[in-house]
Amino acid sequence: MTSFIIRRLLQLPLVLLAVIVVTFALVWLIPGNPMLQEGRQPPPEVVEAMNRQYQLDSPVRFLGGYLSRVTGVGWVLGWNEKPFDLGPSMRHPDWTVNEIISAGFPISATIGLGAIAIALVIGTIAGLIGGLRPGSWLDAATQTIALVGISVPSFVTGSLLIVLLAAKFRIFPIAGWGTPAHALLPMLTLSLPFAAYIARLLRFGLVEQMSTNHLRTALAKGLSRRQAAWRHALKNAFLPVLSFLGPATAVAMTGSFVVEKVFAIPGLGRHFVDAVLGKDITLVMGVVLVYAVLLILLNLVVDVLYAWIDPRIDLAASGTR
Amino acid sequence: MRWIAWAFMLILIGIVLLNWERARSPAEIRFSSSDVFTLDPQRMTYMQDLRISRSLFEGLCTPDPDTGAPAPGVATSWEQSADGRSWTFHLRPDARWSNGDPVTSYDFRNAWRRLLLPDTAADYSDLLFLIRGAREFFAWRTNALTQYASSDRHDAQAADALWQQTTEQFNRTVGIHTPDAQTLVVELERPVPYWLDLCGFQTLAPIHQQSLDKFTRIDPTSGLVKSNPGWTKPGVLITNGPMKLVDWKYKREMRLEPNEMYVGVNPPLAKSVEVIPIEDASTAVLAYESGGIDWISDLTAEFRADLAQSSRRWLDRHRVEFDLRIGAGATVDEALAALPAPDVALGERRDVHVLSAFGTDFWSFNCRPKLSNGSVNPFADARVRRAFAMAVDKAAITASVTRLNEPIATTLVPRGSIAGYDSPAGLPFDVARARGEMTAAGWIDRDGNGIVENGAGEPFPTVDMLYMTGNPRVKNIALALASMWRDALGVQCALRGKDGKFAKEDLRLGNFMVARGGWYGDYADPTTFLDLSRTGNGNNDRAFSNPRFDALLAQAAAEMDQAKRMAILTDAERLLVEDEMPILPLCQYVTLYMYDPVKMRGIVRNPRLDQRLSQLRRVDRPAQGSTP
Repeated sequence: MTSFIIRRLLQLPLVLLAVIVVTFALVWLIPGNPMLQEGRQPPPEVVEAMNRQYQLDSPVRFLGGYLSRVTGVGWVLGWNEKPFDLGPSMRHPDWTVNEIISAGFPISATIGLGAIAIALVIGTIAGLIGGLRPGSWLDAATQTIALVGISVPSFVTGSLLIVLLAAKFRIFPIAGWGTPAHALLPMLTLSLPFAAYIARLLRFGLVEQMSTNHLRTALAKGLSRRQAAWRHALKNAFLPVLSFLGPATAVAMTGSFVVEKVFAIPGLGRHFVDAVLGKDITLVMGVVLVYAVLLILLNLVVDVLYAWIDPRIDLAASGTR
Repeated sequence: MRWIAWAFMLILIGIVLLNWERARSPAEIRFSSSDVFTLDPQRMTYMQDLRISRSLFEGLCTPDPDTGAPAPGVATSWEQSADGRSWTFHLRPDARWSNGDPVTSYDFRNAWRRLLLPDTAADYSDLLFLIRGAREFFAWRTNALTQYASSDRHDAQAADALWQQTTEQFNRTVGIHTPDAQTLVVELERPVPYWLDLCGFQTLAPIHQQSLDKFTRIDPTSGLVKSNPGWTKPGVLITNGPMKLVDWKYKREMRLEPNEMYVGVNPPLAKSVEVIPIEDASTAVLAYESGGIDWISDLTAEFRADLAQSSRRWLDRHRVEFDLRIGAGATVDEALAALPAPDVALGERRDVHVLSAFGTDFWSFNCRPKLSNGSVNPFADARVRRAFAMAVDKAAITASVTRLNEPIATTLVPRGSIAGYDSPAGLPFDVARARGEMTAAGWIDRDGNGIVENGAGEPFPTVDMLYMTGNPRVKNIALALASMWRDALGVQCALRGKDGKFAKEDLRLGNFMVARGGWYGDYADPTTFLDLSRTGNGNNDRAFSNPRFDALLAQAAAEMDQAKRMAILTDAERLLVEDEMPILPLCQYVTLYMYDPVKMRGIVRNPRLDQRLSQLRRVDRPAQGSTP
């Protein structure tokens, strides 16, 4: 297991390098100049000076400089003042990408983790209700609600929650960030689609598990349906949920643009979309890097948890294939 | 399974605690604005940045908020030389930075040098190209940097030598002189009638060089002066305006409080001002309604026309009393606050304000002889452009498409916005004349199918209408134009919506027949609008080129007599909006504010909408103290 984890961690830099190069190519291809605003266009000599200062005149030099700053190679060689420097934002020159990410990520991560926690509670309860009594009216009801939860976009649920709970009943603040009360509505909004997904995965997993041989044996030995499900089926039925949770947590933690926009939350998701629209090359690449690292690490955690829950999975063997 | 849950909960609690902040006493004035890009005065371009800068930094002049005319700022007086090219400014001896240092003429020279360095990558560098030797200095430095990059010596010593050389070059060749700490002399390339106006523009504000120096280094590989982000952060930024920066979190909030060191003409009235960026327009309205913010500085919610009508209905009911109060000398806000409260049952409100702005909403005609795909461009013919312009019922558009009743525009310079300038009449809405122009251009419906054809029987090409997506207003106007042109002129139109950056690229390449445009003026002179149509101007998306027009602009630039100069500019604009029509002006821009005049005062209504955050104040409750 340890060697598997080490191997995966060693792959990380290579994957990240590929991510940087591909992302850079894609952002570079967006037309326009990040230094210019929509309206006024300065004279050509001024535009040329801007391009020179930000190395926008040569993609090779830009990428070279970027890699030396980000990897820390330039720092080792004494070219740069500090390692792992993602550079200044191109649209917001008063901020470094490091500052923007370290301010935005905790906010998005809080909302994301909160949303996943809420989703796990709601989703597990709903999945259990349906999975234990497939075909009953309770099953039909929870599955319908889950379908609605998946289908309704979060800008609708978010706006509904604001209008009802914040504007009408004034239980929560309308928008912004700073206190736990600010976090609850966005967490709830973000959790609903995840909860619905978990409920469906768990329900189908349970139904499948309840018809396996070892469960039949357990029932034959005299366990009640509920006991059998709790002790033997749930753990296995949870495997698909677990593999869903890895990427889902990464998605939730890096921030939902829609939720952050509706609730005016200064999180990473909003920064990312704004950066893409404004062709803020350094900020786009910084956020993509964070997302990639998170996704790789969480997938690793899921793989390890998998082996722990299901002893049949042998990580050492799978790694050598 | 259980330990996972516990670990998860612990992480969660930890992160929530990390985010938990002590709630601060709310600021006296809280308002929503678009995101602030930068507080570096030399690098600003956006309205919201310039607005904050107005309270943080004070230039030589500050425009009078109500008339827009240049008034003293850090400079208490000034003289112009007889030939109009040289200006001498006398600075207040008691002006101070927020750390107590005196504000000197050297601070202005340093800031202007910074604006003139290609290294700063400042959008508005060219404003200073009016100064003698400035454009040449910019080119000299650009050239010197290129040479440095291709030379074989790249070390700290060589870079410092280049910088030394640059400052000497600047001092020797650029017409900015500092005889003493309180005197600044500026020599211009030619007499510039709006020079004082520019001296009130925020990109020409001074900077505190010592605090910036700590964040600046000279890059040995490129020779460029590089500033690290950080010098504009709270606690670091030294300002000379009525306010100082107390707090700034990226895209989250910003707080300004009075600068105790400020001595000057605009002492602050606000105890504290908080800027809260709320991107979602509907959320901003909800935040306003629940008292979370006091002022929405740009109301863009899709239902804003309905909100504006609610306010207009209420005002119409009390129009007589309102006019009486205005006649008695009350300000608009005082008069509005004194009227009977709006009747909620009738759907009335008093807090939505439609204010004219110093900008024109227009559509561009592509004036290139060929389109980007190589085919002949029918809009290269001025008769066709005039026909399309006269076929548009602008009043119908502002009354029932935008529903904001913006003042209709037939000229590019907003009518009545510049003292001493007489706008030409422009072209009227006249379908018969429009058809006549089409016929004269050879476009006649020869086969009776409702589409006009040229002499060879080819139908008028489908009009390719380029617009920027993301704003329903623009698309709705495009739809209205298409139907008016189809009905009046017998042409087919096709809308092509593109995202901002992509649309801008198409404009640059000339890949359109007609395209959505618009312009806000930067200074109080007609040239801020007319320069757009100068041959080769960077913002001349239409590629319009007319030797007579260029000659008139040059003639005006050389004219010393202000009245004669304005008359020449009127002639130039007449050529644009009556004969050549590269641009179809639709209406003057308006900005919608949402604030309750019973609660908040201090908003100015001059079309420049140059708001002074330091002058805002609550009038409905005793002012709260500053941060505890």
